[in-house]
Amino acid sequence: MRRTRVRGFGAVAAIALLLSGTAACGSDSGGGGDVTITFAWWGSDGRANLTKQAVELFQKKNPAIKVQTSFAAYAAYWEKLATQTAGGKPPDVLNVDTRYLAEYGGRNVLADLNQGAGKAISLADVNPELAATGVYQGKRYAVPWAQNTPAMLYDPAAFTAAGADPAKGLTWDQYADATARVSAAGGFAARGATDFGILDTPLEIWLRQQGKQFYTPDGKLGFTADDLRRYWQLASRFRDTKGASPADVTASYNTSPEQSPLGKKLTSSEFAYDNLLPAYRKANGKNLTVAPYPTGANGDLGQYRRPSMFLSVSARSQQQEAAAKLVDFFVNDADAGKILGTDRGLAPNLKIRGQLSAGATGDDKTLYAYEAALEPKLGAAPPVPPKGAGAIQKLLQRTYEEIAFGRLGIDDAVTRFMSEADKSLG
Amino acid sequence: MTTLRTPAPPRPVQPRAPGRGYRRKSQPEAFAFLTPWLLGAVALTVGPMVVSLYLSFTDYDLFTTPHWVGFGNFTHMFTDDDRYLRSVEVTLIYVLVSVPVKLAVSLGVALLLNTRRGGGGFYRAAFYAPSLLGASVAAALVWRALFTGGGPVNEVLAGFGWRTPSWVDDPNFSLATIVLLGVWQFGAPMVIFLAGLKQVPAELHEAAAIDGAGALRRFRHITLPMLSPVIFFNLVMEAIHAFQAFTPAFVIGGGRGGPADADLFYTLYLFEVGFQDFRMGYASAMAWVLLVVIAIVTAIVFRTAKLWVFYEDRP
Repeated sequence: MRRTRVRGFGAVAAIALLLSGTAACGSDSGGGGDVTITFAWWGSDGRANLTKQAVELFQKKNPAIKVQTSFAAYAAYWEKLATQTAGGKPPDVLNVDTRYLAEYGGRNVLADLNQGAGKAISLADVNPELAATGVYQGKRYAVPWAQNTPAMLYDPAAFTAAGADPAKGLTWDQYADATARVSAAGGFAARGATDFGILDTPLEIWLRQQGKQFYTPDGKLGFTADDLRRYWQLASRFRDTKGASPADVTASYNTSPEQSPLGKKLTSSEFAYDNLLPAYRKANGKNLTVAPYPTGANGDLGQYRRPSMFLSVSARSQQQEAAAKLVDFFVNDADAGKILGTDRGLAPNLKIRGQLSAGATGDDKTLYAYEAALEPKLGAAPPVPPKGAGAIQKLLQRTYEEIAFGRLGIDDAVTRFMSEADKSLG
Repeated sequence: MTTLRTPAPPRPVQPRAPGRGYRRKSQPEAFAFLTPWLLGAVALTVGPMVVSLYLSFTDYDLFTTPHWVGFGNFTHMFTDDDRYLRSVEVTLIYVLVSVPVKLAVSLGVALLLNTRRGGGGFYRAAFYAPSLLGASVAAALVWRALFTGGGPVNEVLAGFGWRTPSWVDDPNFSLATIVLLGVWQFGAPMVIFLAGLKQVPAELHEAAAIDGAGALRRFRHITLPMLSPVIFFNLVMEAIHAFQAFTPAFVIGGGRGGPADADLFYTLYLFEVGFQDFRMGYASAMAWVLLVVIAIVTAIVFRTAKLWVFYEDRP
């Protein structure tokens, strides 16, 4: 009697499981032969509006394909993507950052776009050097959605008053002197620069100016303890003259323009990317503009065509053809290019970029002019950063904070960074 | 212990009292009604726990097939991971400081409210409200806004002529602001203390007062012993909560453990390792260590309870 009851209970449980299982399957299948694909990107509300407009245009041009979109801020995006991927359901089309390309591509999450449906994506009109940045270990895991380049965003009024013109190009020494004067002129209430010792991009550019690189092609650190020591000594010089932000302001830095020291009007210049100019201007309220990085004595800029973000297709997608169509649309459709503008950076398609730059006004015009002036000086893009690169920026930030707050000497901090970096790059 | 082992006498068959059949006989209907809960428990709690135990012995990276690494994750934790030890340190400081302070504050406020002056209901609700916001992101965001550079706390202190740093961004103060937030949310233990205080017999206090015991003496020798089971309960619950604190550290620490890892709580590091560094096997191992530690701490508290917890019915 007892056994049958247990068995009966088991049967009930099994039926309920089956029911819930089938229910879960049922919700996915698109009806009526039409195809539904999912598409996820990172960014803010403003970018969301533009992206949704472009997606609507795509659906109008491809009535058989329905696109479900979702977006999140940068950090949250990666946490969500990791969870979805672990659950076996990454979005069909997704944004990838160069810091995470090896992480996802190298683990076969992303489809090789040189194969199958991916071959339909045309890169004919994309600068070959920019296009090459989406290739990792011989496989094309991504195509660049936009091009940007690192830049110094600054308040020209403050620097002119201090007798410096970053637009004409400064050396690091001149920049250090200028920021000290900017800070002093404002009574040290707002500093001349956001302390860049916590940031990986200025470190990379600074290394490139000396002919070195952040990562080697085989995925190790491309610089030595001595290089890092000199970089942090340079940053500390800015801190000692009070040209750079104080430690607690530096520690409040996060990647959104609104929350950054320059966006909060606590500094007058900051290293970021050129396409963020409108967002920074809105947050800061002053008439900010862009300039190239300060250089060493030889005047080498160290800058390159950077894929501001990639478009990738999930290797597990059941709808690779539709997914590839959407990617191709974002890269090569002139109307889409017009809608998306410079929000993510310059259009990857050079024909579209040419059309857009001709009619550009305002901040857009500033960006096109800036990149056009840089174009002949841009170097080759570095190899795709290895797995673990996402953790390196965070390591750099917290180790430098130990220096900025006076809790660790530069030498000890360098030792700690190098040993932890070796571990996370494995 | 030399008694003869005799077979236990058969249980006397008692006539079944009407309406109490559920006691003696399991009913299939009961299981049917329990099924949704059981399914939830198996699918959402027990299942993941078993999987996580397995993963804690692997190098699972979320995407590819996990490989067995034995106790590798556990040995790495204690021998080769400075940040892990840092997270243990931060969490222990938080537990050891915030729990006693929170209990003291909630007991103090409960004592004040227990004097039953007018408006007691209002104050009870007002003090309880922050706990309702308990794990909420909103409370942590407000806290961050309050204690950030140029925030209200800075401004007020500047009014007194004190120049203070951005509390949440300075590694010397950041953890303290999170402790303060934890203490501020003292409503739940307070309500339980209040209920406990109502149970303390008034005649004991009256008798002691007649014998000449002052308020402090009565508190020490009557209120505290009578309240000890409640203190014990609150201590266990709050300690468990404190070990698992995540949201305030995540929000106030900028999602990365705060400046120079000052707010690197255990759960925060676990989250980072699992979902940002793709080391889910290691994160699973960390989760199991936390579970075991909480179990041990709780067991120790239960053991010591015999020494200081007083039950009226068990003299």
